[in-house]
Amino acid sequence: MQDHISRRLALKHFGLIAAGLAAACTPARVLVNAYPQTFDDDPELVDRVLRAFVTTVIPGAAADDPDLVRALTDPDYPFAQFAAFFAADLTRRGERRFGEPAFEQLTPDQRAAVIRDGLEADATTRKMYNGAVTLAQVAFYAGIYDAQRGCALIGFEGGYHWHPLSEITYPDPALFLAAALTPDGNAA
Amino acid sequence: MKTIQTDVLVIGTGFGAAAPALRLAQAGAKVVMIEKGPRVQTADFRQTSDPKYVLKYLKGTPGDNLKLTYAEALGGGSGFYEMISLRAPSLAFEQLDDDGRLLWPADVDRRSLDPYYDLAERMLHVSQIPVEEIPKTGLVFAHLMRNLGYSVDRCRYAVRGCQGSGFCVTGCVYGAKQSLFLNYLPQAVSAGAEIETDLEALAIEPLPARWRVGAPLRDVPYRYRVTARRRTGERELVAFVARVVILGGATVGTAKLLLASRPYLPKLSEHVGRHIAYNGSVKVAALLPDGVPDADMFTGRTHPGMVSYQFLGSHGITVHAVKAMPLMLVSAAHLRLRDEPQAAFWGAPNVELMKQLRHRMIILDAFGLTPPGAALQVRAGDARVALPITAQLRVYHAETKRILESILVRNGCRLVETDFLDKTFMPRQGIQFSTAHQVGSCRMADAKEHGVVDASGAVFDYPGLYVSDGSAIPSSLAVNTSLTILANAERIAAGLIERYRLPLPGGSQAQAA
Ligand SMILES: Cc1cc2nc3c(=O)[nH]c(=O)nc-3n(C[C@H](O)[C@H](O)[C@H](O)COP(=O)(O)OP(=O)(O)OC[C@H]3O[C@@H](n4cnc5c(N)ncnc54)[C@H](O)[C@@H]3O)c2cc1C
Ligand code: SF4
Repeated sequence: MQDHISRRLALKHFGLIAAGLAAACTPARVLVNAYPQTFDDDPELVDRVLRAFVTTVIPGAAADDPDLVRALTDPDYPFAQFAAFFAADLTRRGERRFGEPAFEQLTPDQRAAVIRDGLEADATTRKMYNGAVTLAQVAFYAGIYDAQRGCALIGFEGGYHWHPLSEITYPDPALFLAAALTPDGNAA
Repeated sequence: MKTIQTDVLVIGTGFGAAAPALRLAQAGAKVVMIEKGPRVQTADFRQTSDPKYVLKYLKGTPGDNLKLTYAEALGGGSGFYEMISLRAPSLAFEQLDDDGRLLWPADVDRRSLDPYYDLAERMLHVSQIPVEEIPKTGLVFAHLMRNLGYSVDRCRYAVRGCQGSGFCVTGCVYGAKQSLFLNYLPQAVSAGAEIETDLEALAIEPLPARWRVGAPLRDVPYRYRVTARRRTGERELVAFVARVVILGGATVGTAKLLLASRPYLPKLSEHVGRHIAYNGSVKVAALLPDGVPDADMFTGRTHPGMVSYQFLGSHGITVHAVKAMPLMLVSAAHLRLRDEPQAAFWGAPNVELMKQLRHRMIILDAFGLTPPGAALQVRAGDARVALPITAQLRVYHAETKRILESILVRNGCRLVETDFLDKTFMPRQGIQFSTAHQVGSCRMADAKEHGVVDASGAVFDYPGLYVSDGSAIPSSLAVNTSLTILANAERIAAGLIERYRLPLPGGSQAQAA
């Protein structure tokens, strides 16, 4: 599949969910130049680059988290089609700017500069970088692959975590309340 | 193609569909409901942020300056809503169009709907949230309003035995939320109705038939043929012939169906798909100052319990606090502090902001009486919605945002810029609205020149064809939409029972009167 799209990349459906929940996704077709075959042939290379990317976008995320880059390569999300191209693009930009052929070997500041570069590039590249950053953030903060785990960095516990009423509210709620305008919650 | 005969075919199983299906079945009519989405029940729900799960049920219609969200599953929006159940204020029914005409039909207003609101509330066990269950977010919102001398009311919900898990929008795994598959729909089935899911109505054709005006249902011939397609298996076509057809496919679904049927229904009003109202939602986020208690975004029911009517009379808006799960928030907007304009939406500054999301961030949302200015466009089966941004809307948006920001700033909050994203995750330019409160694509009106159905829900010029869902509601409500849709559907159902001389079920108009 990677081989197929390395020739003719159609950038579609980054989407997840948006606007207080709305489903996302419209096709945005782009053509990109070919990239080194090695990114199609070596999934570990792609994985290393993407991990370096995600830990730059989200400093504090554990680099060895098995789910860290999963959304970017998950065939259920169309970004997977661009993962190899994207990794190659990060690498190319890093090398051009800092002379270092391995993106993951760049310092965090250098990696951030490369990402900024992509986010300020032509419209198509911007779209891809924006999509990659946002998809990585959504997957990480929402813990989309593990309903139990959530995201410890922001204190999101995921699903199925029951809290007693005493933790949901304050013991003296009346102290917070403002005057009510209605007797029952319905405006006249 | 298999053909099924029925007295009444109800399309959809949401709020607008459930009431007439139940009441007509109770009155002895043979009722079949067809639902495009899958069959769901409490046991099918998951507390998860997995987009694949969420997107199985929640769908969107994109567009220019407006985005619509709705559910497609048994029970329509009721499985996934936040169960806020408020009556529309009288003001909503008094709105005028550009020509000074009432948007609502003359005899439908808050007073005439109140008995049906009563009935709907009883069915869904609606009650005000007890003080001791208000989540921290709601209490902090109330505290901020009180600091400024503003009012806040405890909100009303359709729920019994809420555990405060905060996963209302992925479906309540505890069966606490009063989704329609816990009340209306099983009661309709008990009364004899049949429900078929994964079956989408594609087109409605009138059948050649003659009948006596005012005839009882049993003497009315089969007047419509509805073609539907199964969405699973062999995807075969199924035909229904019915004496009465009731459309409850919601603002997008019903308009799409009528537009697809226009070749067979040439006298349909030109207003189908137009005049969509959307409760002009404006959102503003901020970080709380030190000294204000934790507004914990992640515990307690999804809607934080409070609503303010402070600006309803003066500005036509209600103000709510919003709790956003990371999935919804991060995919909806890029966040950055307004006083740090150079900070990126990613990297260390963003992580620092995200770490404050749970305990220190507050999001206010205003719903307003914005005019029904959006329209649906359907091409090759795909719907889009278009909302022209008028000068009036610009003023509304700016003024509403100013009010919300002022509440936060005067409380010492630091404003957070929310750059809303389009479907490719790119920030959207200009004023953008998004809503799950769309209504009005087939609005009720006193005459065909102004709407699609009359006050009884009857489609102009097509006897026996009715619309009873959100698409019939002609205006923004400034509050959440479901209870008004349900109350109006109960009213339409009561009218149908009278019109078709069906015996009164023990609980319809008898209770509502
Ligand atoms: C996430 C979310 C949260 C919400 N929270 C609240 C809240 O707290 N309080 C509130 O008042 N409102 C809330 N709403 C809005 C509320 O759910 C809607 O206003 C309400 O569901 C609309 O009712 P309806 O009868 O018009 O249609 P729906 O309830 O949307 O039902 C329409 C049904 O028809 C089906 N359908 C459509 N077309 C066809 C077809 N051609 N053939 C067969 N079936 C079809 C659909 O699949 C759907 O199941 C929320 C909505 C969402 C999405
Ligand atoms: S907060 Fe209450 S109603 Fe919502 S899902 Fe949890 S238990 Fe159900």
